[in-house]
Amino acid sequence: MSIAYKPDETFRDDFVYSNSDAAILRFPFPFIEDEYMYSVNIEPHVRGGETGAFDAVFDVDEHYIAECRERAMVLEQDPNRCMVLPHMMTAQWDTLELIMESLAEDYPEDFTLEKDGDAWTWTNRPLGIKDSFVFGDVDSLPLEPFEYITRQAQGDFTLQDQRENNLFMDGGMVTTQADWSLEFDLGMSFHEWHGPVPVAHEINVFDRALQYLLRLQYGHPVRRLNWTMTVNPRLDTSPENYPIWGPDRMTLTPENIGGKLHLRVELQTLFRLPRSNAILFGIRCYLASLDELTSVPKWGRRLHRVLRDLHPEIAEYKGTTRYREMAVEYLSQFDDGEPTSSGIGPDVESL
Amino acid sequence: MSKSRPTYSPLYLDKTGKRHLIVCDTAEIPADALADGVTPDMFDERWTIAGHSKAIPGTERGAVADHEFRSMNHMLIALRRRLGEEKMGFRLYAVGAEGFLWEVRTAAIAVGMGGGEVQLNQVGSQARRVFCNHCRTITEGVTTNIVECAGCGAHLFVRDHFSRRLNAFAGFQVDAEEPGDIPEIEEIYR
Repeated sequence: MSIAYKPDETFRDDFVYSNSDAAILRFPFPFIEDEYMYSVNIEPHVRGGETGAFDAVFDVDEHYIAECRERAMVLEQDPNRCMVLPHMMTAQWDTLELIMESLAEDYPEDFTLEKDGDAWTWTNRPLGIKDSFVFGDVDSLPLEPFEYITRQAQGDFTLQDQRENNLFMDGGMVTTQADWSLEFDLGMSFHEWHGPVPVAHEINVFDRALQYLLRLQYGHPVRRLNWTMTVNPRLDTSPENYPIWGPDRMTLTPENIGGKLHLRVELQTLFRLPRSNAILFGIRCYLASLDELTSVPKWGRRLHRVLRDLHPEIAEYKGTTRYREMAVEYLSQFDDGEPTSSGIGPDVESL
Repeated sequence: MSKSRPTYSPLYLDKTGKRHLIVCDTAEIPADALADGVTPDMFDERWTIAGHSKAIPGTERGAVADHEFRSMNHMLIALRRRLGEEKMGFRLYAVGAEGFLWEVRTAAIAVGMGGGEVQLNQVGSQARRVFCNHCRTITEGVTTNIVECAGCGAHLFVRDHFSRRLNAFAGFQVDAEEPGDIPEIEEIYR
């Protein structure tokens, strides 16, 4: 089935963005139960899950073309959103191979990869790209391989080098982030780049997650969901541009919050790379407004309960302090007190 | 509690090393920078910063144990050259302000020295170097919780998040959401 792209969407200024009913139903709703606490909620990243967002290795949806254009705009304004340390070139090629092969396999109508030995031809129909190059020869591509391919994918990516029994964030393409800076964190170890996250250190989440990831096997990727909230459907909520998007938080009212406040979900995927032994971390961002989400009755009930009972420090870290009370009040109209089923699935076939 | 903020401890003499160089960003190596029982004369060489324009290091390595430099930058030029010539068994120790320590450490990592071959201990001023996440300027010598960025003028809140690569703490505009809403500025990093 071909994807009905919405190429004119924007994620800044006039914010022309919405989810179709189909996109709402395939949303990776992040709450498996009516309360939320940090955990190492990792599962195998295999095709298929409780919503359609899990059907592909790298999910492509109706926002693909518009998101790639937004990424190009961010890079034009701030080239340091893509940085890779020099020793990561093998991991760059690993990434290019993984993304190209996966997109071509999952979406054959949109992407084609032809190989004749090291002579590869890549066709990306939605973006109108066709390039022939020599795998392993940097000069045969218009950009370095990591930037070249991640400009053609939705979501952020980071490269983790594994050494000294630790992971180091030694590269990334980060234009759709929830308020963290690649430029600042580049080169950091696992615990360093997670330094600012509250609560989780105290319950040893990061020690356990690191031990798990150091043993990640090639061919057995894993995934988890993370979430926060964003005012307006803005992809670039970077620290770099915080002075630009921070004031958005002052614009919410009980009248506009349903359309303006968005749940921001990250489908995080982790892949061991074959040649470099590095780990590719995909952080795919999904945005849906409260009004879109509450059109699914189960999700409306659950979102209300999670937000109402959120641990204060986590609520603060996720930047919800200014508007959480207003959001809980708004969402209460969608919570009739009925029990919810376990798992994240919407429990409805259509809206 | 930040997990990226480095911790430091008094320096001990690493007995697995053959040659020991200690560098310090002041004229005297403070005794309390060294572990109990360790004294400056136990190091093969002591490099210090005299802080005047006529200071000059000796020309014969090893023959003179004490070498004086004019400034941190003056010392780092010599240190980078020296590190490139050193072999296995060399140990490097640095004492001083945090910004100095991570300049030294970065120079050592650049020539392939391992983490255990370099020891750092922070003494003296706790002032921070602060990297503006918005305009990418580093403001030096910050002793307050909030500082005006030397580049873009934003009032930056100094986070407890440290980048060894940039040798700086992160700063973000404290009144970005509500311009002018700036909390009380207090001196907290003396």
